[in-house]
Amino acid sequence: MIEVSHVSKVYRRGDGTPVTALNDVSFAIVAGEFVTIRGPSGSGKSSILNILGCLDTPTSGTYRLEGEDVSGYSDRQLSRIRCRKIGFVFQSFNLIPRTTALENVEIPMIYGNGRVDRTKATVVLQRVGLADRTRHYGTELSGGEQQRVAIARALINDPHLILADEPTGNLDSVAGMEIMRLLQDLNTEGRTIVLVTHDDAVASYAAREIVLRDGGIGSDRSTA
Amino acid sequence: MGVLEGIRLAWRSMSRHRLRAFFMMVGVMVGISSLTILYSVGESTKQETIKRFKRMVGTFDTVIVRPGAGRMRGMISLTTAEPTLKFEDAQAIASEVAEIKQVAQVQNAFDIDVQYRDRAATPAVVGVSANWLDLRGDEVTEGAFFTNDDMQSLARVAVIGMDVQKALFPDENPLDKTLRIGDVPFQVKAVLASRGAGPGGGSLDNVILIPVTTASKRLFNRDYLTMTVAQLKDPEDSETAIRKITALMRERHRIAPSALDDFTITSPRASMAQVTQVGSTLSKTLMGVAIIAMIIGGVVIMSLMLIAVSERRKEIGVRRSVGASRRDILLQFVLEALVVSSLGGLIGIGVGLGGTRIVIQLQNLPHIVAWDALGLAVGLSVVIGLVFGLYPAWKATNVDPVAALRV
Ligand SMILES: Nc1ncnc2c1ncn2[C@@H]1O[C@H](COP(=O)(O)OP(=O)(O)O)[C@@H](O)[C@H]1O
Ligand SMILES: [Mg+2]
Repeated sequence: MIEVSHVSKVYRRGDGTPVTALNDVSFAIVAGEFVTIRGPSGSGKSSILNILGCLDTPTSGTYRLEGEDVSGYSDRQLSRIRCRKIGFVFQSFNLIPRTTALENVEIPMIYGNGRVDRTKATVVLQRVGLADRTRHYGTELSGGEQQRVAIARALINDPHLILADEPTGNLDSVAGMEIMRLLQDLNTEGRTIVLVTHDDAVASYAAREIVLRDGGIGSDRSTA
Repeated sequence: MGVLEGIRLAWRSMSRHRLRAFFMMVGVMVGISSLTILYSVGESTKQETIKRFKRMVGTFDTVIVRPGAGRMRGMISLTTAEPTLKFEDAQAIASEVAEIKQVAQVQNAFDIDVQYRDRAATPAVVGVSANWLDLRGDEVTEGAFFTNDDMQSLARVAVIGMDVQKALFPDENPLDKTLRIGDVPFQVKAVLASRGAGPGGGSLDNVILIPVTTASKRLFNRDYLTMTVAQLKDPEDSETAIRKITALMRERHRIAPSALDDFTITSPRASMAQVTQVGSTLSKTLMGVAIIAMIIGGVVIMSLMLIAVSERRKEIGVRRSVGASRRDILLQFVLEALVVSSLGGLIGIGVGLGGTRIVIQLQNLPHIVAWDALGLAVGLSVVIGLVFGLYPAWKATNVDPVAALRV
């Protein structure tokens, strides 16, 4: 499903000095896996996740997604892949302000080939347990509920790959557990999940753990 | 993302930020509404001016010869006219210039007392030839206009305008009554149909027409004319006719090649063009003002959109992460500007049409909707949205989603 080989990512600071966020990283993830990426702050977790999500491109190395080498893809091509194959979940939920839960969930459909399907969005919101919150705005929802809206939004185009960057980071432990259970269900359905965290309790849900250290792979082991 | 979906998105975003949308619209609204008013009222004024001018000159297919070189201000009368334009000049024009169908001779005077019993009026007293009515296309409501026989016999007959009838014969039939122009008795033969107001707004009905021969020999004792109106066979020939008449008159008046004309020839068509030209210069200036208002509106749209783009970086990041391409983002923001400015334009047209109605009613002008101006207005508001929305939209496409989404 995912094949990362010799990927490096170098950012340039405002003053032009280069920062190496990823240094010659290689790993593979097969379809249906549940993988966590751990590591101290600044170790490159978000950087690798953004590359996996086709939101960013590696400075060097190749990235194959479902057999496709996307390294040289154009903005349009990458956008199509994000739209159809990938669902993102962020630490800070990132719901669009002054927009209802339902409208938030509908957004990815705008960029797909189909038209906006309100019934489908309602069904997906039901699925994450928010059937009675469809008309609520982000500010009217608890953190856990907002994150569930975000998950529904990530699911609406039925992606094979879910990428979550510290999805429980802003939640209390109860809400965090609920989110993790939801992600686990999605994995049971057959979706591949890559989750960035530095919480041990969260990491215990996954069968495999990749630890990053200073932009390189520190360890990659099964935790089953 | 399709355009329709984009418009729906833009509409929603607008209804979420009503105050901002309002400020974005104001400039375009003001510009478009003033443009609509200016254009419609301008067009209406122009048509009214043409109508009044036409009432005054009667017909456009003429050239008019007046005595004197310079353009005199106001109407020439026997007291102000140079005594150079003779009856024979008019006859010569009629017989020697091929382009001319017929010529009317005119002698006019103001401030002459006209009396009937104990009533008095001071209309313009105008001596004209018998072909006057036909040449101008005017009509009489009662009686019959004087004839060539009346001209020959120096008949003391008069045709009075509506105002004169009202002043002297408020409750009796004026036909065959005898009134006095100065000290000379004249018999009323006919009443002219009303012509309404002239270009200056004054009445064109305060007039008495008498045979020009009678005027010359029995009333004024002057052997020169204040005006000669020559009707063209073909209105297109006015320049040729003017050239030929000029040559003929210079020859008849024995004017040396180096000397200036002692007469002036004008054509109502050219004068009309000048009058409406003045009007359109004014409306062009005002249109400039409207366009400036719209450009200011466009700049407001651009600055508010730029602020919106930086406020909505996170939204842009989210949209990009769920599959929006740069093009989708560009389309979304351009359409937002476009929808706002078009709506501003439509509201502006509504306000403008209302304003036009008021102005037209106040100034008593004909009601004209300048549809081409409305088309122009719609086009302009779309163009403004496009032009001033493009830069902020381009800025939006350059928002780095990774940076925007970082906590
Ligand atoms: N846009 C950027 N410009 C400059 N440096 C960056 C940028 N993004 C990340 N970095 C740097 O790259 C390194 C890895 O960052 P990141 O992948 O966000 O780490 P993590 O998510 O593990 O905390 C850090 O040193 C960070 O400062
Ligand atoms: Mg991070």
